[in-house]
Amino acid sequence: MSLLTLKDATIRFGGLVAVNKVNFEIETGDLFGLIGPNGAGKTTCFNLITGVYTPTSGHILFNGRPIGGTPPNKIAKLGICRTFQNIRLFGALSCLENVMVGAYLRHRTGLWTALSDIPPAIKETRALKEEAMRLLEVVNLEDVANARSADLSYGSQRRLEIARAMATQPKLLLLDEPAAGMNPQEKAELMETVRRIRDDHQKTVLLIEHDMRFVMGLCEKIVVLDHGEEIASGPPDAIRNDPKVIAAYLGEAV
Amino acid sequence: MFWISRLGSILGALLFCFLLDKVTGGLSDFSSRLVVLAGLYVTLSVSLNLINGITGQFSMGHAAFYQVGAYTAGYLSVTYFSKAHLPGFLWIVLMMIVAAIGAALAGLIVGLPSLRLKGDYLAIVTLGFGEIIRIVVQNQPSIGGAYGMNVQPKFPQLFASTGTHGVWLVWLLAILCIAVCRNLLKNVHGLPFLAVREDEIASSAMGVNVTGVKVTAFLIGSAFAGAAGALLAHYEGFLSPTMFTMELSFIVLTMVVLGGTGSITGSTLAAIVLFYLPEKLRDLPPVPVSFLVGAVIGAVGIVVFLKKTIDNYHGSSSQKTVRMILGTATGIVVAAALGFVLKVIPTIGHAAPVEAAKLRMVIFAVTLIFLMLLRPQGVFAHHEFSWSWVKKLLGKKDVPTTAVST
Repeated sequence: MSLLTLKDATIRFGGLVAVNKVNFEIETGDLFGLIGPNGAGKTTCFNLITGVYTPTSGHILFNGRPIGGTPPNKIAKLGICRTFQNIRLFGALSCLENVMVGAYLRHRTGLWTALSDIPPAIKETRALKEEAMRLLEVVNLEDVANARSADLSYGSQRRLEIARAMATQPKLLLLDEPAAGMNPQEKAELMETVRRIRDDHQKTVLLIEHDMRFVMGLCEKIVVLDHGEEIASGPPDAIRNDPKVIAAYLGEAV
Repeated sequence: MFWISRLGSILGALLFCFLLDKVTGGLSDFSSRLVVLAGLYVTLSVSLNLINGITGQFSMGHAAFYQVGAYTAGYLSVTYFSKAHLPGFLWIVLMMIVAAIGAALAGLIVGLPSLRLKGDYLAIVTLGFGEIIRIVVQNQPSIGGAYGMNVQPKFPQLFASTGTHGVWLVWLLAILCIAVCRNLLKNVHGLPFLAVREDEIASSAMGVNVTGVKVTAFLIGSAFAGAAGALLAHYEGFLSPTMFTMELSFIVLTMVVLGGTGSITGSTLAAIVLFYLPEKLRDLPPVPVSFLVGAVIGAVGIVVFLKKTIDNYHGSSSQKTVRMILGTATGIVVAAALGFVLKVIPTIGHAAPVEAAKLRMVIFAVTLIFLMLLRPQGVFAHHEFSWSWVKKLLGKKDVPTTAVST
């Protein structure tokens, strides 16, 4: 059984069909790419999967269970977590605290133990803090753990978002343009990080990205969207040579 | 070890409250009354800070929760106290709990629209709610209407020798409120509240139940305001709708903003200072006109200088501090000198001294404006008092903080 299945997933906003009958299946352990020109409906796809929007028709199955229309916080608890295209960090909080918000999802002690500040809550806080610190090490941000997240550089903020999403311990990690605004060096490092997340942390990754070297070098399977419709899917080599994809998105080699 | 230090903190808090009660006992009725009211304001301001500063829900109707608590306690006391055969003290504690629950229910009612409204819109709704509660009470003859109602029992006296009563209970509630908020922020459970303030969409994507967090903040915040209301009812022995006007909500909001939204230390200290400032200004002596003019010119000069230093001075922070202190001192000297010099001008020199105490609300307002000009993020901004901060200030080596929030 595949981890995530989109079956004819469709959403319309009034007369606009933003995502039209999209089908794809992601297996556990995949590094899956979602590409297409601007306005193709990639981020809307993410919003459908993470419960921001409810599909107008069609199904979204996670581990065989329909999840269309489940609120975002419950989706996160089921094991899907995401980063955002326009960075959405908790600016006034430190990097460590940002990651701890992600880890908070697995808290076991009640609010009363926290309000009375008794050992169970204190121990849990300490445990989640250590866990968050380890995740900061994964994305090389351990040195700025106590800095305000808003003060970080753009590339670091993107990596912090990944660490925050990782802290929810998702089975499926959705990355929305993780390399946007990064220089080539940072992109190469990020590719390494994403690969490590898949290999060492056993996550399944679905990512949206415009940088073709990044996507083609990293993903094993790619789906191409255009105007809300799926125009191609397959391994990078097949996508690179697909005439429809070249016409809609990649363009001819000069 | 943990329980020993916890027991120590609790005993320390109790000791502080009893000592405060004892000390206040020696003061005049007016002064001891101020100590009680200051304690109530601390509770109000810290509990509003939980809703407004920590969770970021702009509520302007805190007086309503205070009023709901006060009238719940008042009505129940008038109706049932004579039948209950309980000692006065136990009855008041019971009323505190009941009033907290009553106000929390009101908080739930206001909290629900906050799930859909943000910022200015929520502010308007909560403001309206506050006025609705006040006007409904004003038109209910069964709870005294516009005439108000008498409440029994009043606080029993802790030390028979003194005239004061209730100071310790009021401050115990304030300390409890501070402790609850501080514990919340110290543990990982406080982070979802801060996260909701920063970004609701990202919070829910990280698994935070945004609805639950907002309602919890309103429940806890309004419960404390309600408990404070019950204490007010039993302290004053009299309740009237005019005690819970919009002005009260605004003053409490000012305390939260001026202290630094989100900072518990800030709201506590701002509550005490802003409550005492207008009262202490009553004691100002008559001032000759020349010195008043000097003071005004001096104050404006100091503020302009400080503002320019904060914005434009590029130096180390210690140089900046020295510059600001020297600038302020110079300003004061210049103001005093001006006072003497201007005396020479006959029209100013011969004018009758001004009753500065009459200007107390003007001075209060101008102080607020100057503070907001110089430090828009509030005096404490996001910072909290902590022992490691004290040690740092004393020049010791940096100690890792125990709190999550720094």
